[in-house]
Amino acid sequence: MGIIVENPGIQTTVQDEGRFGYQQFGVSPAGPMDTQSFYLANILAGNKRGESALEITFMGPSLKFEKDNIIAVTGADVSPTVDGAPIPMYQAVLVRAGSTLAFGVASGGSRAYIAFTGGLDVPVVMGSKATLMRNKLGGVEGRKLEKGDRIGFCNPKTSLPKMELRRLEPEKFPEKEITLRVVTGPQDSAFTEEEVRKFFWYGATVTNESDRMGIRLEREEPLHHIKDGNILTDGVAFGSIQVPTNGQVIIMMADRQTTGGYTKIGTVISVDLPKLAQAQPGYRVHFVRVGIQLAQELYLRKQKELKGLERYLGQ
Amino acid sequence: MEAQFLTGGDESLYVKLGDEISLEVNGRVKSLMQKLEADPVDGIAEMVPTYATLMIHYRPEKILYGQLVEEVKKRLSETGGEKEEVSQIVKVLPICYDREFAWDLDECAAFENVSVEEFIRMHSSHEYYAYMLGVAPGHAYMARFEEPFHFKRRTEPRVHINGRSIVAAENQSNLIPFDQPCGWNIVAGTPCNICDYSKEEPFLVNAGDWVKYQPVSRKEYDQIRADVEKGTYKLETYVKKAVK
Repeated sequence: MGIIVENPGIQTTVQDEGRFGYQQFGVSPAGPMDTQSFYLANILAGNKRGESALEITFMGPSLKFEKDNIIAVTGADVSPTVDGAPIPMYQAVLVRAGSTLAFGVASGGSRAYIAFTGGLDVPVVMGSKATLMRNKLGGVEGRKLEKGDRIGFCNPKTSLPKMELRRLEPEKFPEKEITLRVVTGPQDSAFTEEEVRKFFWYGATVTNESDRMGIRLEREEPLHHIKDGNILTDGVAFGSIQVPTNGQVIIMMADRQTTGGYTKIGTVISVDLPKLAQAQPGYRVHFVRVGIQLAQELYLRKQKELKGLERYLGQ
Repeated sequence: MEAQFLTGGDESLYVKLGDEISLEVNGRVKSLMQKLEADPVDGIAEMVPTYATLMIHYRPEKILYGQLVEEVKKRLSETGGEKEEVSQIVKVLPICYDREFAWDLDECAAFENVSVEEFIRMHSSHEYYAYMLGVAPGHAYMARFEEPFHFKRRTEPRVHINGRSIVAAENQSNLIPFDQPCGWNIVAGTPCNICDYSKEEPFLVNAGDWVKYQPVSRKEYDQIRADVEKGTYKLETYVKKAVK
């Protein structure tokens, strides 16, 4: 077996890179909110970057190990400990059978990831282990972890090649104010050019009504549409910036619906989404307009970095 | 309409082929998707067909925006002519207009300036075509051709509505499988499971199906619900009388 959940934390779920290929049937991909931290955790633990791992929100769980395995914790600082002794984040660490891995409250971000070497043994549903709580799909019975849950390891190890190199400088997420780069479209033409400029001039604030599906922002002055916020329903992307008729802003995240009927003024570029995934309620968000070419150049650079790290670790 | 190519950030492209809900425009979307499946472009990860737009999720490490647009244009010029086969089977879906489920029934009838009885007749006496699935697993987007309503969605989306709600706006009426946030008006509820993962065919209604609502009383609703839970309820179907 693997781990027993002694305390589930606020919202701990199994995620892999996401459930792709079923969006045409309305199935949300789910997957990690902060893909970057998720990938790094898996790479450090010697896994394929999309392997199943745990996503922690705000406060971590307490997990009893039934078997030795290597883990790596990334994302917001959640003060991980093994049997009460602090362990480093962003580093591969061996945890022995019988030990308890515990966490504190997230600081400097909202979410953290625990990767386990070999991944987690939960059923594969529609090609993925990712939990989609809203639709009770994947992970552990389609829900967040509960006290007493037992999750097996698929292929645990007690050592990995280049163990001493499996450490990274912990990520510092911007606090209080974040800047997100945005490619406009597909429905920027539902607004006047001046209104689109206002979207970029004035920021917005992250509200409490935010979850894995979407992050709701509040603008002091709502945006005005030429007509209204309704469109003939079309597809939704990770980072789609929906503006319903009330002129407020909802950014679609990991558990996004596959399609939607509200105008989308733009899309947050993929490399900036981790910042938003880590944002806490009350953070101020600024938007900056970029072109598709720059957005894709940044995407490619990020891919190269991840590939480089994998190569460095011999993966 | 000339095809429009719209960006959805660095990993998605929208190919917009029309502006309306019609079998013709939706058929063009499906034809393009079929063409891209038969003659695939390396780098396309997944496609999501909607009423009038094909959304293409892709991997920029395999293909960049400009190249993808060119490849899609090429295939678009090679489609057309072939007629999408439309099913003639109609699924009969029991729905109940009890206020426990139909949170917005009175408000909607008042907006249309008709009695609740007349509203129910307008909503339930026509056949609907399921154009697409989206939002949630098995969430069917359906529309009728006759007697459209005038109301649209609510200005303030609700944070939570119940699964198995039936919502409406203009000539559309959708099936909501699970609890979710929703901006639509709720006019009825169904005792049937719209999505059931335990079944080999998890979705009650698929894109391309026809559906006819059958109003049932609260008592019949409970009866059907019990049968659904026992796994003994079967949807009735009939063959469509005339081709649209």
